[in-house]
Amino acid sequence: MFDFLDVDWWSLALPFAYISVLAGMLYTFSNIYRKRKASQLANLEPWFPPHLQRQVYSSLLEIAHSDAGEKKTKVPDSVIRAALLRRAVEDIGRIIQVRQAKQALNVLLQRGSVGEDLNQRFQRAEKEIEEELREVVMEANALVPGWGNTIFQSANEMAANAMVRERLDEIQAQTETEKEWWEKRRETIRQDFEKELNDEGQPKVDAKAVISDDDGVLVDSATATPSKKKKGKK
Amino acid sequence: MAQPADDIIEILPLDIDPQTKAIGAPGLSSNKALQAELAALNSLHRTLLTLETPSQIPPPPIPVNPKRSAQIGKLKDSGNDCYRKGKYAEAVKFYGLGIDMALKRPLWEPQQLVREEVAALFANRAQAHMGLTSWAEGAVDAEASVEAKRVGNAKAWWRRGRCLVEMGRLEEAREWVGRGLEMEGEEADLKALLAEVDTKLAQAKSS
Repeated sequence: MFDFLDVDWWSLALPFAYISVLAGMLYTFSNIYRKRKASQLANLEPWFPPHLQRQVYSSLLEIAHSDAGEKKTKVPDSVIRAALLRRAVEDIGRIIQVRQAKQALNVLLQRGSVGEDLNQRFQRAEKEIEEELREVVMEANALVPGWGNTIFQSANEMAANAMVRERLDEIQAQTETEKEWWEKRRETIRQDFEKELNDEGQPKVDAKAVISDDDGVLVDSATATPSKKKKGKK
Repeated sequence: MAQPADDIIEILPLDIDPQTKAIGAPGLSSNKALQAELAALNSLHRTLLTLETPSQIPPPPIPVNPKRSAQIGKLKDSGNDCYRKGKYAEAVKFYGLGIDMALKRPLWEPQQLVREEVAALFANRAQAHMGLTSWAEGAVDAEASVEAKRVGNAKAWWRRGRCLVEMGRLEEAREWVGRGLEMEGEEADLKALLAEVDTKLAQAKSS
């Protein structure tokens, strides 16, 4: 019995070993390969920076829930509503960015000017923003029934309005420098004009003054032949 | 796997002031973006609290509360009256008040409305500045008006062009008026101004 098993075992050992090594290699290979791929995907740089407004909103909700029973200041609902609105405004900005990027990206992809990983990052961003919108609408409806229908309308106007005001402020901020520039410029124009007038009106006096100021040695000859000197000076 | 970062949201150590209900993050004072965001949040919160709607959420953009529109209209009319009587400095003041009033509209009101109002007011203030021969201010105001409303705003295009000519910035004026013509199509006043700029430029070159 023992002899029989022992022999059989040994003769089968080689094929078994072969199979197990093969299977092991395949397993490790696929494992490593998949892990690498996953980590590559996960390590793709996100399209957008972290969503600060969303963090604030979630943190406020967290504080509201944990504090509710015990102590001090309750977070008022109005603050949470404001935080959600801020979050919706940020989302609008992101949607606009995604829409703008989409066309350009498609063209670039067709030409092969950008890599596949950029495309993957983008698609992930698109999915994320869709999820985010749904979530915000749900949260809004939970806070105030029916708010989900209008929150993005309001947020849209808020984003656009903020942009208009920013541009207008930029333009209006130039007023002071423009004014200063013009004051100076007008002054120089006026001086030039006066000089011209003086030159035409009383050339002799002007010439004397200029020369005697500039150069003491020349004064004598200058008084003798003022008009000539003036020409020389100019 | 699709959104690994989504599942974990960092909870920020936020703090709430018991009296003012203002949110702050005393532990993260070095985080400028967060501080700015919290400031924006608090100011939005305060404006929300002044709302008269039942649940204190912003109403849908349309219809607009008519009170502010009426006030802005009134300021504009006063400005126009002063302008007509030749009191340009006062007209500038009234238009300025109107602009402030229009820009202080709650942010969730339609931006198109704000653009229209502000474009008209800036254009009028530019004209009043031109009456005072303060060309620099006039040029800036007209540019702001164009920024608020690019098409169908030929007057503002013309006014900045005029101001630039008066300040002797001919090249700039030509470029500006050229752009204006692209936006407005064949506008007689703009064309005349362009012709004027061109002759002045030619003169400057020949002399």
